Amino acid sequence: MPALLSRVLAALVLISGSLLFGCKRAPSDDSAASANSPASRRVAVVVSTLNNPWFVVLADAAQDRAKELGYDAVQFDSQNDPAKESQHFDNIIASGYGAILFNCTDAKGSIANVRRAKAAGIPVFCMDREIEANDAAVSQVLSDNYSGCVALGEYFVEQVGEEGKYVELLGLVADTNTWNRSKGFHSVVDRFPGLKMVAQQSAEFDRTKALEVLEAILQAHPDIDAVFCGNDAMAMGAYQALLAAGKADKVKVFGFDGADDVVRSIAEGKITATVMQFPKTMARTAAENADKYLKGERNFPQRIPVAVELVTRDNVNKFGDYGRK
Amino acid sequence: MINRLSLPWPAWAAAAAFVGLLIAYPPFRVVSKSVAQNAPVADGAFEPKSFAENFWSETLLPAANEAADAAGVLTALKRNTAEALKAHAHRVGLGNAAYFFIRGTGRVSAVERSRVLLDVDGAVIALRTGPVFGNTLRDGSGLIEVNDVPGLSEFNALSAELNRLVEDRVQPALKSLTVGATVRFAGCAEAPESLPASGPLFTLVPVQAEVLP
Repeated sequence: MPALLSRVLAALVLISGSLLFGCKRAPSDDSAASANSPASRRVAVVVSTLNNPWFVVLADAAQDRAKELGYDAVQFDSQNDPAKESQHFDNIIASGYGAILFNCTDAKGSIANVRRAKAAGIPVFCMDREIEANDAAVSQVLSDNYSGCVALGEYFVEQVGEEGKYVELLGLVADTNTWNRSKGFHSVVDRFPGLKMVAQQSAEFDRTKALEVLEAILQAHPDIDAVFCGNDAMAMGAYQALLAAGKADKVKVFGFDGADDVVRSIAEGKITATVMQFPKTMARTAAENADKYLKGERNFPQRIPVAVELVTRDNVNKFGDYGRK
Repeated sequence: MINRLSLPWPAWAAAAAFVGLLIAYPPFRVVSKSVAQNAPVADGAFEPKSFAENFWSETLLPAANEAADAAGVLTALKRNTAEALKAHAHRVGLGNAAYFFIRGTGRVSAVERSRVLLDVDGAVIALRTGPVFGNTLRDGSGLIEVNDVPGLSEFNALSAELNRLVEDRVQPALKSLTVGATVRFAGCAEAPESLPASGPLFTLVPVQAEVLP
């Protein structure tokens, strides 16, 4: 009988041992990740798309800063596809990365990915695009899109006048930045009843789509005075459409981002204005926060706003290379 | 009974190790449902209108009575812009935008379509009398930040409501101003990076305005 009992106890030890090793401890906010373990020296840069130069700058700046801080940084392109983004997170979690610098595809849909990473003990630092949760990412470094488009809206009224017809090209409808920009712009322009928006359509932040969308709109509304675009890639597409239609000199184009080609176009008088975001500042701040986190710091504000600045022909010489010169 | 529990020492050691391991590394944890679900931001819980009205009456107006003296700030600004920004302006997040929150008295030197120009001890500033846009008031007070509300959308909605309160509660007193009138004011302004070549030093969004007899 004693032999039987000892066998039972031994079995219990084995079973409990398997349970212990089979279960992963929930990550604790107080448990600093080991900054020196090989896994935590790897940082994933997950970006919504690399098919837009602005996001390439964001991703490169995040990767470069992480490398400067001693990490092995790898980029993942979600191609504006939430399913691809989710697969990236699966791979990153399975590979045991130390941190994720994240530019999401969907303010709501991406929350689940961030939560999965958090549950696996991988901290996530959002860049530029907000996720609509306050308890998933460690921090979110975000452009003040609304303010930028308020300033752009005021300049729009100044340039176009208080009467006229215009088109708005929206970005991705699932992105909060799309609506923060649109709302900021309309908070000004809608106060002037003489300014009529004849069409509002998404071109998904994409240059080619903007070209196609505006070409179609121009068929129905050939007499517009201005186009407000939710980003610079769409502004360039809109300008191409206007150029092809022989209207580039008559229709004013407004963008948002501060992309180099648009800043040059403002200097050349092709595009009327844009709003400079600071992708390098955002990316570097996110990488530095990840580094601090991996070294044990836990006190981060959830949202860190980054101011944006209106770029017009009057001050364009101060800007370039995705920031101030 | 005693005999049945007399086990060899390895069995006791294993049992003790088992108990010790269970204490040190419990195989499961019980967490509350709300923590497990990481309660999402409560949609609809934030009411920008009531939040703005409470902020206005309970925080902003009392603080306006204690805002920096406009004449002093303007003198400092004209003397050394960078130093004045360091001493009197505050910044929001990362970036170049800096704001003043000031109070003082000035004489109306010009009345324009959406602003009046005020002479404050020899320095000219503008007081916004037309539609109020943007985040100057929200960010300029330095009394509230994005992490005080659920998210950016709510923070922007708060701005719109605060601007509406300026238009509803402050600007009516400024509608019939004439050149030469004296105005006591408090408000917020985006600080200039450098002194403008001409025109007012900056435009103030008023939190309080009173035409003195």
